[in-house]
Amino acid sequence: MKPRNDEDALVDLLDVVLRDGAILRADVIVSVADVPLVGIKLSAAIAGMETMTEYGLFEKWDVDRRARAVERRRYGRASEDGTESITVNGRERDELE
Amino acid sequence: MSSDERDLEGDPEPVVDADDVPEIEEGRYLYCLVRADENAALEIEGIDGEPVSILVEDGIGAVVHACEGIYDSADLAQVKRWLVRHQTVIDEASERFGTPIPFQFDTILRGDDERVREWIDGERATLERALSGLADHWEYRVEVVEVDPVDDEALIERDDRLQELRAKIDDSEEGTAFLLEKKLEQRLAAVRANRRESATDDLEQRLASEAREVHSLERSPSASLSDEVADDGDDGDGGETLCRLTLLAHEDDEGAIGSILDDVAATDGLEVRFTGPWPPYTFAPELGGDGTEGSGS
Repeated sequence: MKPRNDEDALVDLLDVVLRDGAILRADVIVSVADVPLVGIKLSAAIAGMETMTEYGLFEKWDVDRRARAVERRRYGRASEDGTESITVNGRERDELE
Repeated sequence: MSSDERDLEGDPEPVVDADDVPEIEEGRYLYCLVRADENAALEIEGIDGEPVSILVEDGIGAVVHACEGIYDSADLAQVKRWLVRHQTVIDEASERFGTPIPFQFDTILRGDDERVREWIDGERATLERALSGLADHWEYRVEVVEVDPVDDEALIERDDRLQELRAKIDDSEEGTAFLLEKKLEQRLAAVRANRRESATDDLEQRLASEAREVHSLERSPSASLSDEVADDGDDGDGGETLCRLTLLAHEDDEGAIGSILDDVAATDGLEVRFTGPWPPYTFAPELGGDGTEGSGS
């Protein structure tokens, strides 16, 4: 059989484009603490689909950053519901620190 | 930039302050690296319609576009469009210049064209090695699906231990039978896993004789991005995935790999999905991480 690379096949490849490919570790890349920068909203959206853990790359850095972002928001505006615990990537925020 | 324009009231996602996202000012979005001559040119639209160019430094070309920030969105349809564009540009470059070193989506080098050239020069040895290593090799992906999974009864018939358990269950009191049922279920699951493993091992070995590298992947795709955005083209999901593999193979071996897969596909109840040739995303090297300039925090 011949391999296909039509539209249908491409859809499957998109995950690979997002996750794999050459990675730069040089200091010239836009990165935070040596981890290449990946979109926060994008990783959050993916986390929403409960696939976050598969994105080893996103995980550590992103969890930390999201936790910080959440913290800022909490200080920035009074939260409507002070008792609500915030979950990041399925874990309580407190566990992350 | 755009994050403060948005009305975030009731937004369940964490809000990112504008100053939380590093500013780039001047950056170059990297699609891929290829071997190219000084006068090489590439005219294609990149992500968000940005004009793509190729910067050649002594035989190595970087396919880039100028950008001022990372590409980020919670809108998966938007992300999908970006990813498709990323891949389309790399595809075009591959066609023109041969096997590229493809970059992961959203890889951005801080600085201008000159900085990109300097970077190529600094990494020259690594890049040369990677480009030569990958030359004329492509990534192929294989998924074997059992469209008509064997039912429990058929498995019991073929396995002595299962038959034994079944006989015992029939002869036992309710309580014991319940426990034995559990055992039977466990054994069935183990037998199924075994079948999958041996089928995968077998196929992997056969493919390894033609491909340069074969990697076994998780049985289900690691991200549901494609499911999320491709809810239309569902091609009969009825079966159970036996294995998913990704291969790095020379383009001349594509036919031989296809023949091996033909054999598999000839087996009753098995369906094979064979895609490619793709840029070698999974086999692309990690660049600049070999401690050359101690970029540790």
